Amino acid sequence: MSTFVARNGIGESQRRLEDFRFLTGHGQYIDDINLENQTYAMVLRSPEAHADIKSIDVSEAQALDGVLLIVTGEDWKAAGYDPIPTKSGVRKFKDGSDLKEPPHHPIAIDRVRYVGQPVALVVAESLDICRDALELIDVDYDSLPAVSHQSAAIKDGAPQIWDIAPNNICLDFELGDEEAQKKAFEAADHVITLELVNNRVTAAPIEPRGALADYDAATGKYTLWNSSQNIHANRDTMADTVLKIGKDNLHHIAPDVGGGFGAKNGVYQEPILILHATKQLGRPVKWINDRAESFLSDTHGRDQVSKVQLALDNDGTFRGLRTETVGNLGAFCGTVGPFTPTGGSSRTQGGPFRFDGIYYTAIAPFTNTCPLDPYRGAGRPEGSYQMDRIIDYAAAKLGMDPIELRRKNLIPESALPMKSPMGLDIDCGNFPEVFERTLQLSDREGYAKRKEATETKGLKRGFGVCMYLECTGGGPKEEATVKFRDDGKVDLSVGSSSTGMGHETVFAQLLAGHLGLPIEDISFHQADTDATSLGGGHGGSRGLEVGGSAVTQTSREIIEVGKKIAAHRFDVDADRVAFEDGRFHVPDTNHTMTIRDAIDAQNDPENLPDDLEPGCMNVSSVFERGVISIPNGGHACEVEVDADTGSIKVDGYWVVDDFGTIVNKMLADGQVMGGIAQGIGQALLENIVYDESGQLVTGSLMDYALPRADDIPNMVIGYYEDAPTQKNLLGVKGAGEAGCVGAPPAVVNAVCDALKEFGVHHIDMPLTPERVWRAIQDAKSNN
Amino acid sequence: MYEFGIKTPTSIDDVKTALGEAEDGQFLAGGQTLIPVLKQRLAMPSDLISLSRVGELSGIKVSGDGISIKAMTTHAAVAADDDVKSAIPALARLAGGIGDPHVRNRGTIGGSIANNDPAADYPAAVLGLGATVITTEREIDADNFFTGMFDTSLKEGELITEIAFPIPEVAAYIKFPNPATRYALVGVMVAKNGNTVRVAVTGAGPCVFRVPEMEQALTASFSPDSIKDGMVADDDLNNDIHASGYYRAHLIGVLARRAVAEANG
Repeated sequence: MSTFVARNGIGESQRRLEDFRFLTGHGQYIDDINLENQTYAMVLRSPEAHADIKSIDVSEAQALDGVLLIVTGEDWKAAGYDPIPTKSGVRKFKDGSDLKEPPHHPIAIDRVRYVGQPVALVVAESLDICRDALELIDVDYDSLPAVSHQSAAIKDGAPQIWDIAPNNICLDFELGDEEAQKKAFEAADHVITLELVNNRVTAAPIEPRGALADYDAATGKYTLWNSSQNIHANRDTMADTVLKIGKDNLHHIAPDVGGGFGAKNGVYQEPILILHATKQLGRPVKWINDRAESFLSDTHGRDQVSKVQLALDNDGTFRGLRTETVGNLGAFCGTVGPFTPTGGSSRTQGGPFRFDGIYYTAIAPFTNTCPLDPYRGAGRPEGSYQMDRIIDYAAAKLGMDPIELRRKNLIPESALPMKSPMGLDIDCGNFPEVFERTLQLSDREGYAKRKEATETKGLKRGFGVCMYLECTGGGPKEEATVKFRDDGKVDLSVGSSSTGMGHETVFAQLLAGHLGLPIEDISFHQADTDATSLGGGHGGSRGLEVGGSAVTQTSREIIEVGKKIAAHRFDVDADRVAFEDGRFHVPDTNHTMTIRDAIDAQNDPENLPDDLEPGCMNVSSVFERGVISIPNGGHACEVEVDADTGSIKVDGYWVVDDFGTIVNKMLADGQVMGGIAQGIGQALLENIVYDESGQLVTGSLMDYALPRADDIPNMVIGYYEDAPTQKNLLGVKGAGEAGCVGAPPAVVNAVCDALKEFGVHHIDMPLTPERVWRAIQDAKSNN
Repeated sequence: MYEFGIKTPTSIDDVKTALGEAEDGQFLAGGQTLIPVLKQRLAMPSDLISLSRVGELSGIKVSGDGISIKAMTTHAAVAADDDVKSAIPALARLAGGIGDPHVRNRGTIGGSIANNDPAADYPAAVLGLGATVITTEREIDADNFFTGMFDTSLKEGELITEIAFPIPEVAAYIKFPNPATRYALVGVMVAKNGNTVRVAVTGAGPCVFRVPEMEQALTASFSPDSIKDGMVADDDLNNDIHASGYYRAHLIGVLARRAVAEANG
């Protein structure tokens, strides 16, 4: 079959090329890869939240038949490796001093600081032997007082987790203009204050973290297959910084990755431990986390408590916004952990609304909990939740209409481009138009009828909106490498890695579309440090923005080379050659040459002008993004609430996103739906709970409520495509995270709208049935 | 898992022999609880005595004013059975709402009630409908069967063979699912048979229990209005991250009212 893609690959809902492989069980996830002579590793994890390790006795475990190696903190100390560094983009306190970065070794040395922290690694001939050995390791702990909540951690007298961090504070932060904010507050008629919680969640990817390490003594090189979202940067950290084996000696590969959502962005302990082990043993070592370990050891997300203040006038005009956040970091600095509650949550403060002054502050303390790192959105969902919740809360308190409040304060198209008060370069968009289209899509006219039908059932109905504005992020560079094979196939490698979102399809679609080659001929290779010299990983909705632009740039360079080959053949100047639909031709002549002809010609010097070498169409090109783009959009949600039990059903969902150019609508829809599903999960169901002593209470899917299919409504998705950005070659704005940026406030706003007759104006997430029911009871007894 | 042996007898007599021969034998019914427990190394039986090949332990029989369900009958079979659906529709619906299709196709009624998980659905049916549990040794009234959290009056080696349900005039089961597990956060079975009304509650306490106050009020008048707040004290109810005892007590009232309304059609 030959499928040709029109319009340079843009706008085609090309079906996913990877799905046949996935749906027939032929995906290559870590546990699908097995090497000869392979060994197995498991991790002994701390049951203590905070304790000194008095001793570790591994003698019985070591003596067990089939146990090959046991690694403890003592071994690590002796080996002299360096700790895992944080790469947080924010590194200074407000006063200019450095963030407090405690040493994060992959295995606990002398003290444990959270439940689940690795204490020993066991390598054995089988997993069963590993399990037997884990039971035989005797660790003597001396318990210390622990603190798990960030608000408790910063109080005087709280247990101190690191000597270098008084009051457990790793970092503080400010952004914006406090003077302008204060002036705006003084001038405004009202200042509305809301304290809210952005609940702690876990990504729960369907493929748990895992890795397979293989050391080749003959070459001194290591290969690491790793279920990771970021292989180039993490290779550098593991090889150069921690193990000091040299990054050229570590071949890092992410094969098919079954979900990441940010939780596979960072450098983790276990892959480093098995790299150490494979060299010690001279045999491959495989390690796969089980689901219970995933809850304990995958970096968690969100976990911010904030005080948000909105200053506005009697006519609804927004004046000022102030947000004070305390963001939990866990026991160590995650790979970018300290950035999330500081830089991450600050940049989009104010959303798409006009303000005279905005000021944001944050404190980021350590606690005796698993480290936190990005989770889909990484700070922007928190910002959007603060903004869109305070609008509805203010509207309820002041008897205003939340829709009108948004209408009145949205930044008009005429004001763009602009620099936001938080420094974002908002180049294009049309927020009022996107908002109106969202309302239209949601059929406001039909709402009264739907509400009546709900009430007939004895339930309450509510409507909520959110107008989010976010930004992309992640590494600015991406490389796309194209190699034409003799068999007619085309190898395409891009450094950005997919965790399921469809790179294999969309990158091939772009290349095929640009070159006019059948998409079936393109063979995509992702995330392999030998295939591309650099890669920015996957995070910050950057896949298409940076990786797609790299594919486009490489395609354009290939065409330019092809024009020279065609010009050489037709003996004309290259600038006379045009390219269209896979053909080079010289206008006003009958000279034509297909791209395939040019590819076939490229290896023979006879066919090439003097300035080209054989293989010249095999191009590798690096695209570098200058400025991050600004996705934005409107979410609208309707819910039914059973006031007698507090249970909620999301009964309708509409969204209009401005992602700039839509390259593949079906894939964009998938990103939006998945993001909204996770947003609804956070709003209604998901919550990672530690008790006060630092024990994880939600350690399995029996206690951690992930959304199921019947928790998620049908979604009606529209796009505003009239504002492509000039910041990248495709005009795209990043679609990966927007769904869960917009969904939590839209859902909570809808629930509060349904319950306003009781006087309920805020409930903290997740909106469990009991919380909702109690909020109604409390409001009733207060009235 | 730790290592264990597995025996697959085909008759009740062989089951007894197999158990007698095992050092520390454990019956395996549908395995929907036991297998995860073994996988987590929380149990270490020497042998599993699988009941799935014992033909005489499977099947559903209607006889006069009762329905008898053999212990190894799966939830899916009960949910789909035409006799159950017409005689005790509440029981068929309860079975059809347990777990997911995988659980319903493996899990069995005997395994469920022998395990007596505090949040399982079947104990509410057995107690609420006033069933009799028939074992290899005796017949046990539902009121004497469920003795505590994961505890029953079954003796060592005693095997449930069938559960005999009387057919009520009307009955309804309403479950409020735990959002994480979809087990019952609270489940209430209400059944009326002549002048007898039974109300059984699962999920809310350490073990399924009846609510005499509600039963008396409903005997006087089988109407949702007979259920008043405060008929269940929250002192002994479960308190966990999903729901407080206070909230569970409230839910029992709401669900009981809804069950009565549904039973009344």
